[in-house]
Amino acid sequence: MSENIYTRKIGEEYDTVFRQCVSLNTELHKLVPLAKQMHLLSSNAVSSAARAGTEGDAFRVLTQDIQLLGDDVSHCIDDTQKVISEIVMLASGLASSFSNYMIYTDLLNRLDIDAMKTSPKFFEKGQKHVVDDIRENNHRLSRCIGILANLLSPVATLVKKGEYLAVCSSVEAASAGEHGVSFEAVATMLRALVSQLGKQSARQRSLLRDLSEAMERQQQNQRNLMYAR
Amino acid sequence: MRVEHLFNKNTHSWMVMGRDEDRRKEVIDTNQYLIQHNGRGLLLDPGGVENFSVVAAEFSKHFDLADVEAVFASHQDPDVISSLPLWIQTNPNLLVYMPKIWVSFITHFGVKIENIRPIPDEGGLITLGGHDLEVIPQHYLHSSGCLSIYDPQAKILFSGDIGAALLPDDYTDLFVTDFAEHTKYMEYFHRRWMPSNTAKLRWIAEVRKRDVDMLCPQHGAIFKGEDVDKFLTWFENLDVGSGWSGVR
Repeated sequence: MSENIYTRKIGEEYDTVFRQCVSLNTELHKLVPLAKQMHLLSSNAVSSAARAGTEGDAFRVLTQDIQLLGDDVSHCIDDTQKVISEIVMLASGLASSFSNYMIYTDLLNRLDIDAMKTSPKFFEKGQKHVVDDIRENNHRLSRCIGILANLLSPVATLVKKGEYLAVCSSVEAASAGEHGVSFEAVATMLRALVSQLGKQSARQRSLLRDLSEAMERQQQNQRNLMYAR
Repeated sequence: MRVEHLFNKNTHSWMVMGRDEDRRKEVIDTNQYLIQHNGRGLLLDPGGVENFSVVAAEFSKHFDLADVEAVFASHQDPDVISSLPLWIQTNPNLLVYMPKIWVSFITHFGVKIENIRPIPDEGGLITLGGHDLEVIPQHYLHSSGCLSIYDPQAKILFSGDIGAALLPDDYTDLFVTDFAEHTKYMEYFHRRWMPSNTAKLRWIAEVRKRDVDMLCPQHGAIFKGEDVDKFLTWFENLDVGSGWSGVR
């Protein structure tokens, strides 16, 4: 493959990686209102349990679990947002470093060796710094994507836990008869929120997979271009 | 692309590079200058990231750029200095002289503070290979932190954006050939980009204290001989800060 084709492909892939980072960032931001709704739900659960009086002991235990679930989702969001911000920065930094790499390539192609007072090695040294930066940032980007995948993996477990809590809440609400009416509403809302969390989590995993693949393609083409020289 | 010696005597020289016909048309043409003294080099307003490779390749034909020890930035604009990270990546020990007030802005280009030598508002001296160059304040012309450089040996004044002209593409001369005709390329630029008549008069008074053979702007053509004084008089009489119809 010629250098120009690699260059064009890498340019397109940087664009793809950057756009996918932004999409993933947007998708992760959607979890913020969801976490807020979960906290609101746990407050509702507290009031429902109080309204049930002595019949509401089981509700109180479930309420604590719902609160813990909300906290787990919030922590997960906080951690992923830090990592995704770094990913977006690294992706944009890589695009800029690659542009510098191409500027050096253009310069080295322009040098008329016979008429030069400056050794090409002087500029090659500059280009080498750029290549080192690219390599280091690619490494950091891969590491961050791995961290993000690890941070997102418990979400599937949280969804399962939420579904289980919703079922338990419904069962307890039904057995409490008229004392459980308002807790049934809590269970219904929990089911809806958990279902939403499950859909978002699936979408995030799919975006993360696309991002990892785009990263790998971009890194491979970059290696082909840089080491082919 | 034109590269010419403006002065070349013993171990001291000035070179200019400009009129890059291959540049993208939406990018303003810039003049880059290289001063050499005793084998040491100083680049003045090395230009934007867009023309780094052209500037470096052209000057490399005339000088070993490994001996460029410093860059001078008259002000903070991207056409002046956005190539800086590339110059520093090439030579991590490069010094960057710049108006003090722009230090925390220019570091946004990714330049490390260790490379920066801030120049105070009142100007001062830059020593290159044992030769002193005077730094003259030209604040508010156009940037609020802006500096010119005067070389007493070559009698050349680098004036940044003062004297700049927006030339048509077919203007290939490096020097002003017909001053009266040339004013039409300068007038709008100075009315629009220069905001202060007070600063203008103060700078002109400073320049008139010196013996100037050439006045070298960052854009447009160079003034030499009588045209230097013609320019100063023309500029003195121009009402700057009036290029927007809303303030006329």
